[in-house]
Amino acid sequence: MGWFSSSSDTSKASDGGRIAPDRSSRERCWEGRDRFFACLDQNNILDAVKDDKEARGKCGKEVEEFEGACAKAWVKYFKEKRVMEYNRDMTIERIKKEDAERVADLKSQGRAT
Amino acid sequence: MASTLKTLPRLLRQATRTTTPTIVSSRTVPRLSILQSTSHIPQFQNALTNNTNRTFSTTSLRTRAKTMGQLRARNSTGPFSWKAALLFVVTGAGMIVYFQVEKERLARKRIAEMSKGVGRPKVGGPFMLKDLEGREFTAEDLKGKYSFVYFGFTHCPDICPDELDKMAEIIDKVNEATGDPSLFVPVFITCDPVRDTPEVLREYLKEFHPKIIGLTGTYDQVKHVCKMYRVYFSTPRDVKPGEDYLVDHSIYFYLMDPENDFVECIGRQDTPESASKVILEHINDWKREGRSLTGGQ
Repeated sequence: MGWFSSSSDTSKASDGGRIAPDRSSRERCWEGRDRFFACLDQNNILDAVKDDKEARGKCGKEVEEFEGACAKAWVKYFKEKRVMEYNRDMTIERIKKEDAERVADLKSQGRAT
Repeated sequence: MASTLKTLPRLLRQATRTTTPTIVSSRTVPRLSILQSTSHIPQFQNALTNNTNRTFSTTSLRTRAKTMGQLRARNSTGPFSWKAALLFVVTGAGMIVYFQVEKERLARKRIAEMSKGVGRPKVGGPFMLKDLEGREFTAEDLKGKYSFVYFGFTHCPDICPDELDKMAEIIDKVNEATGDPSLFVPVFITCDPVRDTPEVLREYLKEFHPKIIGLTGTYDQVKHVCKMYRVYFSTPRDVKPGEDYLVDHSIYFYLMDPENDFVECIGRQDTPESASKVILEHINDWKREGRSLTGGQ
């Protein structure tokens, strides 16, 4: 299991702090995340929080690995970030398209007059 | 500049025609008309020797040349010569470069001054925290050198580790360029003091760069310093043991000058190259203005 396991004592520093994931466990978490998201992409699932059941059904192995390698807060963060980034990209695309349409529209108007 | 460069070859070509004065156009060397009007050289020479008696002469300067050779040489090139052309171009280029550099320097100075002016939002200020050895660390400890302040927390999923790797690259680049690592102090202030104790911070920062100074404190101390630096702070105050949470925070590096005044922000969009360039420019400006930069303390 990853650094965030059931035994929370292992992640406790001697002065009472909580030991943060180091470089290698971060990388393990990111790899798990990438594999899980690749599986979601293949199955056309965007929101792994809302469509949790479907995600677990289609990508059971991946989601288990992902959640095992990352802290709970990180899992939630990455799942939400995926949706947020998708929406952001869609918005950017939409604005670009609208802009292009407007430019084309203005150009055709300019030619007409 | 471009037009000067274009005319240069022509000037040089003219400068090389030393032996055939009559070819040189009267446009570039107006005083040469006397030569063109005299078709026979012996005749001209005659006129030259007699000239001392001719008070109505319009070419008194010309005639002081002692020999025909000197006269020809002077007339052929007129006021232009290799050396003059070269001097002109070099001086011109030098001035352009100088003005460009000065302009950029003043622009940077304006940015730096802007954050010092009255009525401007002030970023940074006095604070009291603890370093990783448990010693008190205040804003005074940052004076005399440029500091590079970053706020974060060790349980940060993806952005802070990326930014800290960038910070490590910037530190190396800046220190390599200045040759004095004590001039530039990278600082990491945690926004999550409950979990980020000195021991946790030490282990965490070690993985990025040994020079980064980690700072932590009580919840209120950290909240205060975040406020001073205008950092959005969302750390929950009362966390149950073992509870897992994330901290929202601003993700800017703050470059502070040796008087601990805010200079510039370095953000996500900056690469290690662009960031270290900006920092080095500010450090060099400070040095050039002859202001104290103690470091080494």
